[in-house]
Amino acid sequence: MKIDRRLLANFDWILLGLVLSICGIGILNLYSSGYNLYTGGEFLYVKQMFWVLLGLIMMVIAFSVDYRIIIRHAYLIYAVSIMLLLLVSFYGNMTHGSQRWLVLWGFSFQPSELMKLAIVIVLARYFNDNMKKGYNFGNLAALLALLGMPFLLIVKQPDLGTAMFLVILVFCMAVFVGVGRKFLVCFISGGMVLAPLFWFLIKDYQRERILTFLNPERDPLGAGYHIIQSIIAIGSGGIWGKGILKGTQTQLRFLPEQQTDFAFSVFAEEWGFLGVSVLMLIFFALIMWGLKIARHSRDFPGALMAFGVTMFVFWGILINIGMVIGIFPVVGIPLPFFSYGGSSMIVLMTGAGLLINVSMRRFILQP
Amino acid sequence: MSGKQDRLTGYDSGRFRKKIQVIIWLVSLAFFLLFARLWYLQIIRGDDLRKRSENNRIRIQEIKPLRGLIMDTHGNILVDNQSSFDISIVPEAAKNIEDVMNKLTDLCDLGEDTISCKKPSFKSGRPFVPVRICKNIDRNKLAIVETHSLDLPGVVVDVVPVREYVYGKTMAHILGYVGNISRSELGRDIYSGYRSDDIVGKYGIEKYLDGYLKGESGGEQVEVDVSGRRLNILGGIKPVPGYNAVLNIDADLQKICWDAFQEKAGTAIVMDPRTGSVMAMVSRPSFDPNLFNRGISGDGWKKLTADSLCPLQNKAISGQYPPGSTYKMLVAAAALEEGLITKNTEIFCDGTYRMGDRTFRCWKKKGHGTVNLHRAIAESCDVYFYHLGEMLGVDKIAEYAGKFGFGYKTGISLPGEKRGLIPTKEWKLRRYGERWQKGETTSLAIGQGFTLVTPLQLLRAYCAIANGGTLYKTQLIKRIETADGQVVKEFLPEKERTVPVSRKNIDILRYALWGAVNEPHGTGWALKRKERDVCGKTGTAQVISMPEDTSDDVDDVQYRFRDHALFVCFVPYKDPVIALLVIVEHGGHGGSVSAPIVRRIVDGYFNLERRRKKT
Repeated sequence: MKIDRRLLANFDWILLGLVLSICGIGILNLYSSGYNLYTGGEFLYVKQMFWVLLGLIMMVIAFSVDYRIIIRHAYLIYAVSIMLLLLVSFYGNMTHGSQRWLVLWGFSFQPSELMKLAIVIVLARYFNDNMKKGYNFGNLAALLALLGMPFLLIVKQPDLGTAMFLVILVFCMAVFVGVGRKFLVCFISGGMVLAPLFWFLIKDYQRERILTFLNPERDPLGAGYHIIQSIIAIGSGGIWGKGILKGTQTQLRFLPEQQTDFAFSVFAEEWGFLGVSVLMLIFFALIMWGLKIARHSRDFPGALMAFGVTMFVFWGILINIGMVIGIFPVVGIPLPFFSYGGSSMIVLMTGAGLLINVSMRRFILQP
Repeated sequence: MSGKQDRLTGYDSGRFRKKIQVIIWLVSLAFFLLFARLWYLQIIRGDDLRKRSENNRIRIQEIKPLRGLIMDTHGNILVDNQSSFDISIVPEAAKNIEDVMNKLTDLCDLGEDTISCKKPSFKSGRPFVPVRICKNIDRNKLAIVETHSLDLPGVVVDVVPVREYVYGKTMAHILGYVGNISRSELGRDIYSGYRSDDIVGKYGIEKYLDGYLKGESGGEQVEVDVSGRRLNILGGIKPVPGYNAVLNIDADLQKICWDAFQEKAGTAIVMDPRTGSVMAMVSRPSFDPNLFNRGISGDGWKKLTADSLCPLQNKAISGQYPPGSTYKMLVAAAALEEGLITKNTEIFCDGTYRMGDRTFRCWKKKGHGTVNLHRAIAESCDVYFYHLGEMLGVDKIAEYAGKFGFGYKTGISLPGEKRGLIPTKEWKLRRYGERWQKGETTSLAIGQGFTLVTPLQLLRAYCAIANGGTLYKTQLIKRIETADGQVVKEFLPEKERTVPVSRKNIDILRYALWGAVNEPHGTGWALKRKERDVCGKTGTAQVISMPEDTSDDVDDVQYRFRDHALFVCFVPYKDPVIALLVIVEHGGHGGSVSAPIVRRIVDGYFNLERRRKKT
């Protein structure tokens, strides 16, 4: 592939810098939380470094190929993701009572993470294809079909959080492209009709989680325990924090899931409000930068994809931090670029690659 | 780039830019909310949540002090501390409590008292506080639990110090026992510094000296992890062990007294007449105070309280008996001191004494003939004392009784002491609304009737006669010392009063008591020993008045109607070193039952002394 010099000149170093600084803080944080959790094997922060490196490779691939080519193959990407989800439901590994993992060549992979990115790409393609005609109810049906398949497969795992995450992404992108008001009313009212139905379909533990979210003290030993301990960890960090390796909630393991879902609580406990402010500012800058990329995209699919990926990151931040500070229910959504997790890291790095892709092609794009 | 519509694709970037502007606001708002919440948690509630995290991490654990030891006068340990093992479960660490409990019960039988896993204490909302599921497991079970500890998450073994009463039953009434403080005790002022999980003395010395024995609790700040494992000790205050108590009791002598009774019920006290210290005090039947260590079972308690022989009662201080003939000493002392008689005053005893229309009998039906005071005491002539009673009157006897320490507590360092009863004319009027009858003084003079004394009072009065007239305070405790032996408080002999009887008259009484044992017709003749001169007085305390012509054969009388047999004595005649009282409950007539017991104790004491001198 011939590399256009203008591409290098327009390379989005700022985005890369923001992403890598979050990854760096995340790795440091994993080092601290894993310090007393060592159970043999490789340290998680070392593994996370490996995932970041792997992610960087994916990122390079993702920004090297012109995003229009990627969008052209959107349905293929989507189909592959659906295939992987199907594979999970047949051959997936069970952990903690749900079937989310696919083991390939010794690596565990979570196709539902890939699906988050795939749905963004496929929607960019779909909305772009139908833009000129305007959006109507026929589109709604197609949209529901595109969303419905992965949604049901993921609910079946069961992973309610990720399934809802897909709904949110689809909703955001639909609003963004400007589907009609009727369309939105249908979408929302349909959701409201389905919600009670949903209540009966979901598993007991999921129902429990929602109830516990509404009142964490309801079950201080069980589901509410996580949230209470997380709030104690975050609050006890105060302004200055307890210092790295000195977070008592973390190091004495009062805080659960501290490397994945509650990684932010570890950081907040050890670095305090000051550290949290810095991290939040980086996150904020990243989102703003992503929106800027969407805004400056020369074409519609680029803008849509950039917007979708940014929303992917934004909702990840909002839901994860909202969860650990007790304003969202406990759902297994990792904090983007920060929580431990190979699938999530690789997919997000790929997403960042797509953002860079759109960003660096904004000037050279010939319509 | 200026918001114009792209001709080829129809992409209106201007329209989307406006939308993105709105989204930027929404995203900013979302971040602002997250920030606000983080501000609230970390800055406004920071201190409060910091405290909660410290509460998670730091546990204040009380360290109970070791209770003070109790020793006998020679330093032999009477009450020691031993380890007992409890099993508790930490709910959080156990995760599935039912599972762990099942595993535990599969491994070993924990006994019936095991708390069920359904207990509400497991759902108290304090997941890291261990819940005790069974107490006092034996060492075999402990070993099983310890070796399987990996399969039993959350199961912890607590070591709890318990009291060990080395001499078991033989000293139960002196030492008492301990138990968990009760709700009603917690309410009382004397227990103001106590906590609801404290162990307190419930009876005996354990109760009387609780304030000295209990020591002071210490505490530890311990850092624990989520499963309650102790990681670091951050600081603490060491507990101060309780003070040790040294008693005047001689454990070997106590044992001799206990064994002397064989299986009979009753009480024996040995005192040093020169100091008033209590060297032995036995009350039978007794109980095993070790049973109370970890809480006595309901059945065990019922058995103890339902026993008609009252094993829980210390008969030496709580038993109240008519003194019988042992009281004659007091009547004689009063009559001598009041100048109503001299040692030569003779009275003729034909076996009966008439008072109004009633006839009182001497225990010797044929009568003693003409007797003087010496013989009257030695041979325990009732008629002689009927006359003295008439001469003295009830109130004069009561006055002397009071001077000899009757009618009020001796103040021994044990809870539950009774004061006895010394009747007066006024008392009867107040109590029954009736006037005193002359005949009542008659039976009073031989220690029957209303009069009630505790064995300890009686012995103390005899000590005063033995030592020439000094009424000492009864001293059970010798001293209190710290765990490393520094004396905190010493209990020296304390004179309470000098009895108002002249030395000359006391000598008359002492000689008569010598006669009672060492002269052929004396009632204590059975106790005559070649090598030492025991001086003493027998007595029979009537349980109920028996019809007059029943057989003298005690075996025919139902046990519970039989009289109590008393014997009070001191040894030797010159400068006595011990005074001894024995009461055999329902033993029948005075000398025959109590004498062998007294003999065993006296001989035992002197053998003990001889052995001690040799070594």
